Amino acid sequence: MKTTAKLFSVLFFLILIFSFTPDDDGDRLVGVWAPSNGKARIKVEKIGNKYYGKIVWLREPIDPVTQIPKVDKNNPDASMQNVPLKGYRLLKDFIYSGKNEWTEGTIYDPENGSTYSCLITMKDNNTLDIRGYIGLKALGRTDVWKRLEIKK
Amino acid sequence: MKRFTLLLFLFVGNQLFSQTDSTKKVEEEEDYSIYENVTSTDGQNKTFCNPKIFDLSPSRFISIAWDQQMPYDMELSQLFSYPKDSTNIVPYEKANANSTSGLRLFANIPVISSNKFLWQLGLNYWNMKYVFSEKITPTLDTSLIQQLQKNGLTTMGLHSTVYKPLNDKQFILMQVSADLSGNYTFSNIQPLKFTRYSASILWGKRPNDRKQWAIGLSRTYRVGELNFLPIILYNWTAPNRKWGTEILFPARVHVRKNFNARSLVMAGYELEGQSYRIGGIPLSVDKELEIRRGELRLRLEYQRQIWGFIWGTIQVGYRHNYSFNADYTQIGGSDFFRGFVGKQEYAMINKLGGAPYFNVGIHLVSP
Repeated sequence: MKTTAKLFSVLFFLILIFSFTPDDDGDRLVGVWAPSNGKARIKVEKIGNKYYGKIVWLREPIDPVTQIPKVDKNNPDASMQNVPLKGYRLLKDFIYSGKNEWTEGTIYDPENGSTYSCLITMKDNNTLDIRGYIGLKALGRTDVWKRLEIKK
Repeated sequence: MKRFTLLLFLFVGNQLFSQTDSTKKVEEEEDYSIYENVTSTDGQNKTFCNPKIFDLSPSRFISIAWDQQMPYDMELSQLFSYPKDSTNIVPYEKANANSTSGLRLFANIPVISSNKFLWQLGLNYWNMKYVFSEKITPTLDTSLIQQLQKNGLTTMGLHSTVYKPLNDKQFILMQVSADLSGNYTFSNIQPLKFTRYSASILWGKRPNDRKQWAIGLSRTYRVGELNFLPIILYNWTAPNRKWGTEILFPARVHVRKNFNARSLVMAGYELEGQSYRIGGIPLSVDKELEIRRGELRLRLEYQRQIWGFIWGTIQVGYRHNYSFNADYTQIGGSDFFRGFVGKQEYAMINKLGGAPYFNVGIHLVSP
């Protein structure tokens, strides 16, 4: 009986450890974020074990030229050029890799239709460094995003 | 025992259900109006103005290009003749340059690149090979034309660019470069004391995503010899985002036509120049010869994405010679300032005919 209790104790602590695996720690990314230019708000959510971010608000939702809601007109894929920007998923496939970093994902820039490799680093619970880069992390640019809270 | 089983169920169950829930959430219809009213949990995110505006031609990390000028005539005055002006020169050396061509390599790597500070370091290598027709006079091995034919002209340099946004509208832009230019080769690189330095500083504003302007001062060799010039930056994109300007006056002025986010054409001019120390010509013991090459390039350039972040450019235009004169400079390598009004006489006053040219390049462009 004692042996069984010991076995379960070990199992319990193992489960306790695994229940705080990087995956759950990674959920701190979930929320609404504002890039430094203030032009958009991005909602990050978890789908399966990956993280995705979509545009949920635009400072200028209407295209000044066409006078209709902005669409992804710079997308190199012509079939995507009429997709509305609001709701567009521009952060894709991020995996929490520990040490406050989310990797393996990409970020899309609707201004020029380019997709970059991306590293997300959480500086503190309310601040993200978003680094878009080409191939090497040195060939990139970092933007600072701040966490937002929805007013009740 | 029951307690352990319960705890086990709670933890495992929590893991399983939390994943299922988050997947479901995505499928739900989103009410975007709830994101209108938000508050920052950590104070306002300070906004800094971006170094770019909409639809600018992409800046380049790495660039490889080939530049070629078509045939033109070259007439050089005799050394030590100190001609007063170019209208009275008696050509001493004459030749027809069948071609002037060379490789242009450029790399610009960000050291720090964030929304509040940008610092880039780079290097460049330009080489110009001169191929003359057989009719070169005189045939002395020490003539300037012979020296040009032998090694051509080479420039290697380091440069640094700092962009510092002060707030969401104002910025400061600084550039410094150090170039070693001359008729040297890799096996016989000229002494570093002949390095020529250029620098510029600008203060400007970016009132919106389609316009940025700045004013500043520059220490430059773009007209061939050392000069201090006021500079104006004016980058603008029309509301329809099909047209724009890319101006850094007087260095370059371009009108831009954007076909889409992946191709554009630019028309305008660029001033191009450098001061080249020429070795191999016997002079007095304390003097060096330095060619002040400055040229105006009227041009049309087509840029387009080839694949991903690889872009290609084709440039055609006309090269007008502004200066190919030569100065004596002190052997210590120090330079002097003549500007547009200085009275210092040239050691040689040289005339180069104009020539059509083309330039093709491939580039890794920046985000």
